[in-house]
Amino acid sequence: MYNDKNAQTIVDYIQNFTRKNSLFMLAYGTGCGAIELPATLTSRYDAERLGVRGAATPRQADLLLITGYLSTKTLKRVIRVYEQMQDPKYVIGFGSCTINGGMYWDSYNTIKLLDKYIPVDVYINGCMPRPESVISGFQELKRLIAAGKADGAKKYKENLEWYRENQKKVLKNWPLVEYNW
Amino acid sequence: MNSLILLLILMFGGALFAFILNKFVPALRDIFVVLLMLGVSYLFFSTGISNRLNFDVLGIHMQWGFTSASYLFGIIVVVLGSLALIYSTAYMKGKDRLGYFYMNFLFSIGAMLGILMSRDLISLFFFWEIMTWSSYFIVIYSGNDVDRRGLKYMIFSAIGAYSMLMAIVIVNSFIGSFLLEDVFASIFAIGSGYQIAIAILLMIGFGVKSAMMPLHVWAPRAYSESPMSYTAVFSGALSKMGVFGFALVLFNLVSTQNWLINEVVAWLAAITSVLATFYAVIQSDAKKLLAYSSIAQIGYIIIGLASNTYLGVMAGLFLAVLHAVFKSTLFMAVGAVERQVGTTDMTKISGLIRRMPWTFVATLISIIALAGLPPLGGFVGKWMLYEALITSGHYYLVIMVFLSSTAAFLYSYRILFGMFLGQEEPEFAHVKEAPLSMLIPMLILSGISVLSGSHPGFILEPIQSAMASFGFQSNLPHESWWELTVLFNTWGDKVALVNVLTSIVGVFLIALAFITIKGYKNQRYVTTKDISSSGEIIQPEDNMTFQIDFYKPFERAIWPLLKRKIDDYYTDFGKGLEALFDFVRRFYNGNGQFYAIYVMAFLALLLIAGTKYFGF
Amino acid sequence: MNTILIQILGALATILLAFIVGMFYGGAHRKVIARIQNRVGPPIYQNFIDVLKLYSKETSINHGVMQHMGPVFAITASITSLMFVPILTDGNWFSNLNFSGDLVFLVYMMVFGSLGMALGAGQTGNPNSAIGVTRGLSQMVGYEIPFVMAMVALMTQFHTTSITGMIAVQQQSGTWLMFSNPFAFMAAIMAMLGMFSYAPFDIVTAPAEVSSGPISEFGGKYLGMMMTSGSIFAFVKLALFVDIFMGGASNLVVLVIKTFALYMIPVLYGVISPRYRTEQAITYFWKWPLFFGFIAILYAAF
Ligand code: SF4
Repeated sequence: MYNDKNAQTIVDYIQNFTRKNSLFMLAYGTGCGAIELPATLTSRYDAERLGVRGAATPRQADLLLITGYLSTKTLKRVIRVYEQMQDPKYVIGFGSCTINGGMYWDSYNTIKLLDKYIPVDVYINGCMPRPESVISGFQELKRLIAAGKADGAKKYKENLEWYRENQKKVLKNWPLVEYNW
Repeated sequence: MNSLILLLILMFGGALFAFILNKFVPALRDIFVVLLMLGVSYLFFSTGISNRLNFDVLGIHMQWGFTSASYLFGIIVVVLGSLALIYSTAYMKGKDRLGYFYMNFLFSIGAMLGILMSRDLISLFFFWEIMTWSSYFIVIYSGNDVDRRGLKYMIFSAIGAYSMLMAIVIVNSFIGSFLLEDVFASIFAIGSGYQIAIAILLMIGFGVKSAMMPLHVWAPRAYSESPMSYTAVFSGALSKMGVFGFALVLFNLVSTQNWLINEVVAWLAAITSVLATFYAVIQSDAKKLLAYSSIAQIGYIIIGLASNTYLGVMAGLFLAVLHAVFKSTLFMAVGAVERQVGTTDMTKISGLIRRMPWTFVATLISIIALAGLPPLGGFVGKWMLYEALITSGHYYLVIMVFLSSTAAFLYSYRILFGMFLGQEEPEFAHVKEAPLSMLIPMLILSGISVLSGSHPGFILEPIQSAMASFGFQSNLPHESWWELTVLFNTWGDKVALVNVLTSIVGVFLIALAFITIKGYKNQRYVTTKDISSSGEIIQPEDNMTFQIDFYKPFERAIWPLLKRKIDDYYTDFGKGLEALFDFVRRFYNGNGQFYAIYVMAFLALLLIAGTKYFGF
Repeated sequence: MNTILIQILGALATILLAFIVGMFYGGAHRKVIARIQNRVGPPIYQNFIDVLKLYSKETSINHGVMQHMGPVFAITASITSLMFVPILTDGNWFSNLNFSGDLVFLVYMMVFGSLGMALGAGQTGNPNSAIGVTRGLSQMVGYEIPFVMAMVALMTQFHTTSITGMIAVQQQSGTWLMFSNPFAFMAAIMAMLGMFSYAPFDIVTAPAEVSSGPISEFGGKYLGMMMTSGSIFAFVKLALFVDIFMGGASNLVVLVIKTFALYMIPVLYGVISPRYRTEQAITYFWKWPLFFGFIAILYAAF
């Protein structure tokens, strides 16, 4: 049951409350930004007090964190992992590299805009973003969830054709598996 | 004609007839053996236990007839025999030398019935030998004696037979009769040294068949290499003849002063069960795993019998019946997998659950019964065994049993995972479910396992009368079997099986309904190739199943215990003997001169010794 | 009819109690870890939010019938064992099926769930799951033995195998069994470390080694049901230990105090420990705990 933007019933309210306060995060440590995550999760900044905790596998995760530049080779894995996650699921693009390529803007084997391949709910900019901004990114995502606006997964399902086309453009001769939730 | 004779004539005559029939009209063979076995079962059930047959052969008085104890084992034999023969008709289809196979199959069933009905030692020994030989012929059914497994079986059986014979001769020289009644009546009059000797000699004979340590060496290979339809009987019923013998010896030939014998037997059985379980855990072939597990399970049975308490003996006999039920189901299931897939090596098979669902169900139920989990029959037996040991003060023995049955969870899981769970491979996509005539016996037997878990009365009833014939007075209240659902130990603690069953089934159904209905529409099934593997995409031909060195860490932990197999001791003993004979052979080098020197030397020795000691 | 209704209501109340207490203890565990690492930590009710969220996940994926039934097996075992463990010593409250089974039964019932769960994990085909299961089963062989030794020692000492019998013994004599047979208590407590599978015995679900092991393919409602089952089961284990060694509890406040004190043992032992290898975990239980168990039986029998 996806949330009607205009009217949230009490059930929606509770669901969104639990969803926003319990984010199981799968940190896909692709780029250099991954080094900020330990600091975010451990004693100094302690993301667990906000309900964010690590998940070991995509099946258990709610939140996919792409930390930095994404080479095309890794992109297939990321798509696979994203599709294995279970609805509702959110993506955070972490660092300038996921927004416009960052310092890899003219690299031949990294993607420039993550949103063309998987739906991103929140971007955190910076190169690399400090833990404070990561946490503010989490808070922004929470705000979106509470408002029922973090519906990347729904967008992905609806515009699957478009996403697949983009993915195929960079992933040549790679058999894309059927979307299987 | 007396129905006992008719029973034996039908079995042995039918066996020969099956052999001849196979030569001329092979098409009728299967129907004939199944009908024969069903007829014999009918005859067996209509023969009461009061029927006695007395006759003289060569001046030796003999007596045949069932007691209520042997009747209990007889039920196991005929029920398993019939089901295994029905299973055989499909399992053995297309193999050659079927006349030979069925003849020996029927022979061994007939011999087992003969053992159970003989009330004197001579016919007991006679039928025992027929059973040994016919099972030996099936062990070497495939023609060549791989790894000399048949030879091993034969040697151990021969050792057993000789010691039994020796015991019989000793008994006869003291008592002057072969009749069991006379022997039981006057055994305690003879010296206690001889009593112990007789008991030990007989127990060696029976211990070989029940594969008790250190006489178990033949069992793993013999069980795993004979055709599975026979192994179901071999492990299910034939090994129970050893248990039956143990019961006879422990309850009738060992006086209560010799409690040490009981202790020693119980401890041997406990060590057997622990070590055999450990070996079963590290096997990777399903048949061998089950073979070791059979050895371990018979250990429990003998512990129960040797505990010599009411509850313990009841547990032993109950486990004997139940082991026959679930272990033969498991052997049948493994046989079904072998027939449909072509191998039982668990490192090669995986993911058959969708291909052979009914075989999986039968295996699952039998494994639950084997592991002794509530609410199935195995739990009832285990519970009685533990309570009997605890209440009778066998503190450390009960720890051994616990160790062995906890480690049994490991191989229980292994066999389910190895064959049925794990990734579903395209190379097994063609595998079909086993034919109906193989499934029906398995499912019937699993049904017994299920029913005995909450209403064990229908097995405990014949066990009680069997125990009465061993001299244990019943202390269970006499109820109809349907009502016997609460078990007590001697301290008054109890387990109410129906409450357990209702609780488990009730919670299970509610939780299942909840998890199925919740979000039913968005529930998806994915193949086993779609697993989270750090993003790597598994191709259909990649096999990701974890099968090799399955329990390696456990193996490392228990390694000091397994470093040296009992097998090796025998091999060393054999090698030592060979070296001795080699040494002796040096003297016989075929040179006449040397022989002359030996004779001279011997004469000289004789002369010296003679003058010194005898003075001539 | 009326009594059956009351029994069912009582059972539901017990389950609810076990769930709530177990969940709060789980939250407390996370809080304790956080405080020891000098963090603020999640709120103590965080586990409730997690479970609710898992149940509210929209899609759920399974690899077949056995995986679908795996969590059901687990929760069946938890709830059934809960029915057989006395919660309070006196009064008719929460006495569900306490008189229908004894300790031997309970030891087996507590294994039931992990084996059923293992079947579900096996069907996913994930190699990590199977590795996790083999680790768990191997570890179980390790800690069951000292635990059973402690139980056998108590059974022989007091000539009863039922839990209610043991509570009665303690009420009559006025001493807790942890003082009547301290060796049994030592063996059982060390076995309890393994039962809870917290560090250093968290080899089954080690996220860094086998990516959470048996549960690696479980998400959404399946994971939710397993968390539910896990917290109920934690309560069952604690209540069992309190009943046997600490004289039971006469009311809920005492129950909570005693169970919490007991719960802190594996938690505090865990937070300062790294993780064992599997064979180290097995042999750990076969050294001192086994020795204590051995002494306990000697002490009880002679
Ligand atoms: S944004 Fe900067 S820190 Fe992050 S991955 Fe790109 S280059 Fe590295």
